[in-house]
Order: sequence, then structure tokens, then C-alpha cells
Amino acid sequence: MKLYGSDQERVLISLYGAGPADIYGAILRSLSAVLEEKVSPLSLALDQGREEIGKPRRILFDQGLSKLPHAPEFGGMGLPFGVYALAMELAGAADASTAMSLGIHNTVAEAIARFGSADQKKRLLPALLSGKKLAAFALTEPSSGSDARSMRTKAVKEGRYYLVDGSKMFITNAGEADVYLVFAETASGHGAFLVEGSNPGLKVGRELTEKLGMRGSRTAEVRLVKCRVAEDSLLGEEGKGFEHAKELLDSSRIVMGMICVGIARAAYGKALAFAKGRELFGKKLSDLQLTREKVANAATEISAARLLCMHASRLKELQRPFSSEAAQGKVLATEMAARTCDAAVQLMGGYGYTSDDVHRHWRDARLLMIGEGASEVLRMLIASRELERES
Amino acid sequence: MNIVVLVKSAVDEAELRADPAGHPLLMGAATKMSNFDMNGVEEAVRQKEENGGTVIVVTLGGADAKKAIKEAMAMGGTRGVHILADPRGAPDSLGTAYLLAKAIKRLGEVDLVVCSEGASDTYQGQVGAMVAEYLEMPFLAYAKKVETNGGKVTCEQGFEGGVRVLQAKLPAVVSVVSEANQPRYPTLLQVMVAGKKAIEDLPLSSLKSEDYPETGMEVLDVTVQATNRKRVLLDGSPEDASKKLVDALKQEGVL
Amino acid sequence: MEVLSFSEDAGLAGEVAAAGRDIAMLLDAEAVAVELDEVSAGLHSARKVVLVKGDRALEADPDSAAAAIVEVAKARDVRALLVGETKFGTVVAAKVAGRLKVGSLGKGKRLRVDAGRLVLERDAYGGKYLAQVAAKLPCVAVVQAGAYKAVNAPIAPVETLSVNVGEPKVATVEVRQSQRGEADIKSAPKIVSAGRGFARKEDLALARDLADALGAALGCSRPLSSDLGWMGEEAHIGLTGAYVHPQLYVAVGISGQLQHVAGIKDSKIIVAINKDGQAPIFQFADYGIVGDLYEVVPALTKLLRHG
Repeated sequence: MKLYGSDQERVLISLYGAGPADIYGAILRSLSAVLEEKVSPLSLALDQGREEIGKPRRILFDQGLSKLPHAPEFGGMGLPFGVYALAMELAGAADASTAMSLGIHNTVAEAIARFGSADQKKRLLPALLSGKKLAAFALTEPSSGSDARSMRTKAVKEGRYYLVDGSKMFITNAGEADVYLVFAETASGHGAFLVEGSNPGLKVGRELTEKLGMRGSRTAEVRLVKCRVAEDSLLGEEGKGFEHAKELLDSSRIVMGMICVGIARAAYGKALAFAKGRELFGKKLSDLQLTREKVANAATEISAARLLCMHASRLKELQRPFSSEAAQGKVLATEMAARTCDAAVQLMGGYGYTSDDVHRHWRDARLLMIGEGASEVLRMLIASRELERES
Repeated sequence: MNIVVLVKSAVDEAELRADPAGHPLLMGAATKMSNFDMNGVEEAVRQKEENGGTVIVVTLGGADAKKAIKEAMAMGGTRGVHILADPRGAPDSLGTAYLLAKAIKRLGEVDLVVCSEGASDTYQGQVGAMVAEYLEMPFLAYAKKVETNGGKVTCEQGFEGGVRVLQAKLPAVVSVVSEANQPRYPTLLQVMVAGKKAIEDLPLSSLKSEDYPETGMEVLDVTVQATNRKRVLLDGSPEDASKKLVDALKQEGVL
Repeated sequence: MEVLSFSEDAGLAGEVAAAGRDIAMLLDAEAVAVELDEVSAGLHSARKVVLVKGDRALEADPDSAAAAIVEVAKARDVRALLVGETKFGTVVAAKVAGRLKVGSLGKGKRLRVDAGRLVLERDAYGGKYLAQVAAKLPCVAVVQAGAYKAVNAPIAPVETLSVNVGEPKVATVEVRQSQRGEADIKSAPKIVSAGRGFARKEDLALARDLADALGAALGCSRPLSSDLGWMGEEAHIGLTGAYVHPQLYVAVGISGQLQHVAGIKDSKIIVAINKDGQAPIFQFADYGIVGDLYEVVPALTKLLRHG
């Protein structure tokens, strides 16, 4: 399946104009070739546990995917966030697990770029952008996911250090990461702390091996046990940690939404190819009206989800408020991906049901209605904003 | 080393659609860098990396051809020259070779011209040798290995009977086959940097003279090739299917 | 008026000369086969032979061969030059066209004359389309192997021409002949062909066994001869390799890319064995078995051997 095509090209043109769209298009086309030829072929094996986790991620780091939206002074390419977002759609279509793993890593890089001190940026950004170091985002806990503010992990100031104690759960890249962005309750509210993976107080628990999907990334519990970090590990303002988290999640929701657009395209592409080749009742499956309805629905929803996420992205670029749009985009994209992938299994019938290569897309997409902001929480956010407006 | 690499912006046959009569819709068809030319660019860039110097990418094509030139530059080309094709129709192989040779002659001293075994859309393999004729340079064809040393180029050519080892003095024209190398994937940063570089536009009028060869070549018709095969699928166990196949082949008179 | 034909390959020379006869008839011209250094034994097909000799071997490299042919063309009223398709021939054709500044139609299977122009039918756009390309005379065309059948004509009168061509610009330092393990697929009546469905080089033994049981030659798709190097160049069948026309072609573990299919179109019966039911090869096959080649091929071989 060709990942970068006229759909993506036209989004670039309409957002940025023909000139810049040419250059951005060339970049995404080049990324597409790498994804199609080097990453996609590993995707099924990754899902089935026959391929090394991190191998496709390394390929994308080497291409420079993590550099796209960052400032050149730290090794970034200084491109609009939208180019990165579209890149993540393509990555999601090639391998969802790798895309998600990278997306979360990139969120930590964004955190440092936005809230980091000059020293933190210099120390960590170049390594994160090149993929020399891998990052993990540790907010969720065993007893708090959606209600993140009620987290129990505490960071107590002791002289020039903090002592962090608590437990984080469902952490992507756990065990592989070189640096963890750990959110903890502090005396003045919440704080975000950069904890090295090698810190003796950070213990990675058993890997979660029964995941429904996203099997190409590593997920585990992470425990902080009298974890001692220097005070310059604090990222941003003490007390403002939760606010920082919310801003970062707004960005990452756009990315997760775009990954889901990619997943939906992957499943839909396979179903379409199948329908064109399958014959029944003297016709092709793709000729039947009920099939065409499915195709039309998928195409429409994929377009809508992409555009809503890209709209949120454009607002972010223009430094306008975009939380609600990002939430809307994620709700739409993640739920549409599950619908589309399910329809793909249905269309492919017995072959869809009995083929990892088909149902893994649904299994992968299913996570994202839960992670990075469960749909219920996002709907609360969206509704709040609506109710705040003057009627 | 001053190296020139010839790249064709070819019709992307995967995207090419046909009209109901089976004629390809060529106007505005999507293009891409001809697959084998990626090997040509890779070879040219390797020679540059080994010997120092520049790689100038030369292409004859429509506006869309800039995409292919930029891809070649992202892979390591130094700069690009775009001969603007007549939108009314592409010249034949001899006319193409004439224009490419004229463009190359404008570049001053050239040590090596690299092209590929053939274009992915037409695959005739004539232009390379004809360019060499116009430039009065030796032509080493179908190279799967290229080595330059002490003003000479040595190539290994795979042919129907085995391998020929060919050698000539530089400057020379070499065509490479896909076995010659594995084209590199440029990083996204390299693509971005190449994308911002200017490409020199060469109008046809600046190259075409009275000595332009008029071969009267014309494409009379292009139509989809019909496939009328039986498409009978034989099912069952390997043994059953094999039995059905052998019976069918005996019936066909080929066994 | 004459139509020249040439191939450094003796077998092809006969075929191209037959093509030359056809075209010469349509142009009301004489068919002349150009032989370099010595007249090859075997079928000639041509009405006349011009033997060109120089102070060294003219057929040793394309430069010398082209120069010799140009000398012949300059001395006579030549309307067309037909060259047999080999890598050598393809280069010679281009060089001659380049030196004489005439059109080269490229390589194809069928030639005809239309309103005083030579028309060649050739594959286009990855092999999915067929193009009819015309050029005004004089012009050059490359004829694919198997397109024409050599004719058993009485030995034609031989005219000898001496030429003095310059030193070739390219020296042939060495020629390493490959061990011809495989029968010549270009003329084989039955072919078994292997593709990427085979996991290891050693597994090709299965294909070889099947070929033996069928009395067939063994060929392959491009990846096996180029990227993987499991088989020689001469076994590669496809748009950029050999065009074959057997009675029976069995494609094993070949997906059926257009570039491969282009080379097998003239097969009488095509059989495909592939575990992917969606593989394009099944659209181009008369009979197909969707199954694991590691199971199907041994079963088929066993059946053919023991009945």
C-alpha cells in the first residue's frame, strides 16, 4: 500500500500552500518509501513476537522522524507540527506499535523543548531527537488513569534532592527507556521529574504480555522506591506538573488520533484489495452495494478524522487554544479506527477472523480509545467547553 | 571527480490508469524516478564519496521531473539540471541522447557519466550508448561493479554467457544494473535540504540546433495487453491438486 | 535496397535473418545478413551474406562490431538494420543508430511495414501495455529471441568486405563464461521457474526435481538471479531478461509482477503454484494451485515420476 498519496498531498497544499507543500511532500514521500520497504514488512512479525521490538523504531529514528517538529539548534528540522502529525499517520499505517512507542517518546521530547531549562534541553534533546536515548511518559498509576490528578506517587524535597515514591502502570517503553518523565504529587501541587532509567530507585516490573494489541511495544509497571533525583530533574515549574501534563496530552492526542487514521487505512486497504479479488453470486464483492456502503463510510470517516486532527494541529501551530479540537479528533479517530478495522474483518469474512494480519489492526486500534485520554474523559472535556460557551 | 548522473522521470506504472478503450491516460500521469536510475544515482554518489568531487543530476522531462531530481539530490547529488521537455511529446531515444549530451557538454570537464540499464517505463536501453556516441566517450554497459582508478574505469558486466570485465580510459559513460548496489534511503533532513536547493532550468531552445536528429519516430498506438488465460484453480490436497493438474496438462497436449 | 540483419549469437543470427527476409519482402528489398570475422555455421535464412573482416576481431566488442556494421551501411543502400537481442546486440544497435543518426525502435517481437515506415511492437509501462512504434527509414530495431523462426535456406552467396576500424574505446580484459548448468531457456519447450517463494537456495532442489520429472529447463524471476544470486543471469525471465515461449511454463513461488509476466506471455500453457491466493500470477495462469510449494511441488514431482 502506498502510504503517502494525493490525500495527504492535498491536505498539505490546503494547509500550507503549494510551495511549502512541495518540500513537505518530498519529505513525507521519502519517509513513506522507508516505511513501506523497511517497516511494514516487519509489522506482522512484530505482532506475532517473531521480530525484535525496537528494530523498526531504530530505522525511523535514523530517518529523523523525531526531529521533524523540533528546533534546528537541538538537531531538529524546524518543520510545522502538522508535517510531523501527517508523518505519524503514515507511521501508524506501517506499524502501529512502533508509531505509538515513538509518539510517546516524542511527547517527552516536546516536554523538554517546552518546559525544560537551557541545561536540560542541551543535555537531553539532541539524544532524544536522534534516538540515541529513548524516553517514557509515566503519568498513569495502578489506581488512577482517567483521574490522573488523584495520583499517589509523591515527590518529597530533601535538601538538593527529591525522593520519589510510588507506582506507575501501563508505561510504554518501560524497561527500554533511558529517561522517564515521572509525574508526582509535590508540596505545591504536582511536579514532572526526569528520572534516568539507570536510577537504582526506579524498578521496572513484569512486562505486560497479555495485551490485546500493540504487541510491538513494551508495556510494564514502573515502581519508584525511595527514588532519589537531583533537584534539577524537575521539569518546568514545581506545582505546575499537572498543567504541563495536560498541555502535553493535548499534543499527543493529535498524534494518537493520526496514528489511528493510519491504522484504519491499513485495515481498509487490505479489505478493499480482498473485495476486488473475491467473487460471489457472479459478481465481485466490491460490486455489491453493501460493500460499497462500507467502503464509503470508511473513506468518509478516515477523511473526517484526519482533517479534525490536522485542524487541531494547525491551531496548535498558530498558538490558538486547541484542547477541545484535539480531544474531538482523538475521540473521532480512535472510535472510527475501531469501527473501520472491525468492518474490514467483516468484509474479509473467515479470512479476516483467522488472520493475525487482518485483525491485529483492530486489536491495535482498540487501545487508543483507552490510552492517552479515555474517550469518556475526552467527552467530558469537550462537553465542559461547550457548556462554558454562551448559549 | 566531476560526475554526471542521468535520471529519467518515468511514468509511475503502478499509478497509471487506462481509459475504457485500454489506452493509458498519460496526460498528467504520476511520475517517479525510474527505479533503475536509483542505482545509477547511488553509484554516482559512491564514486563521489570515494574520489571527491561533484555529482550533477541531469534530467529531461516535464515540470514533474523536478521531484526526481530532488530525490537524486537528497541521495547525494550536488546540483541539478532540468532540461524542460516539450509538453507536446517526448523525443525518441536519439533525440533524448542529443539533448542530454548537449547539456552535459555545457558543464565543462566531466570525468564520468552514469546512467542505468533502462527506464522503468519504456526499458529500451538505447539512450546511454547514444549519449556516449554524441560525447565521443567509451561506453561500458550493464555494469554490476564499477571501479575507478588512475584515470581508468573498470566494470564487470553480466551477460547471457557469464561476466565480461571491461576497461576504458576516463572520461567514460557507464550504465549500471540494479545488482550493482543497494540505493540508500536519504534521511528526512537530507530530503529537506535538497528540496530547498535551486535546480537549473534549461529550455529546449538553448540546446536544440539544426543538427537535431529528426528520426520521424512516432508512437502509433498503446493499448493494454489482453490476458485471456483460463484461470482455472485446482483445489484439494497437494496430491489431489497435482492429479487434477497432470490430467489437465495431458488434455492440453503439453504433457 | 537492403535490409541488414546481425547477431553475434549464431542461433539468434538465423532468427534475425528470417525477420530481415520478412521485412525485406515488404519493402521490396534484399535481405542481407552481416557476419563478422567468420560466417557462423547453421541456419542462415538470409538471401545474401556480407562477411566483414578487419585486422583484428570485430565481434570482440560492441564498438568494433558497430563500426564494422556502419561501414557496411555506408557502402550500400540500407533501409533497415535488425539486431538480435542480447546485451551486446542492444548496445550495437544503439551505437549504429547513434553513428548514422537514425532512429532506433528499441526491442520488440513483431515488425511490420506501414506507409513506408518500419513499425515495431514492443512492451510498455512495465509490460502491461503494448506499443506500436514507427520510424522513418532508414532505422534500427532490436529483435527479441524466439520472435522469429530461423529458416533453413540454402547457403547464401558470401560477399567479403575488408574494413579498418579504429581501436575500440573499451577493452575487454576478461571473459568469464558461466558453467551452463541450465538448458537454454530461450528455446526450451517446457520451463519450471522459481521465485521468492523459495526460502533458501538449497530448496531450489525441489524445483530442479520437478523440472527433471517434466523434462523441463529451470528458470527464475529476477530477484533469484540478481539480488540473491541463486541462479545465473541466463536463467532470468522477464521484461529485463529473457522472453520465453514454451509449451508449458510452471511458475513456482512467483508472485507474478508485471515485469516477470512480460517475459512469459507467449507460453502456450501457464501453471502457477503459490501459497498466496491473491498473488497476481493467478490472473495470468491457465491453471493454478493455491498451496504451499513445499508440499505441492514434491507431490507433483512424485506423481509425474511414478504415475
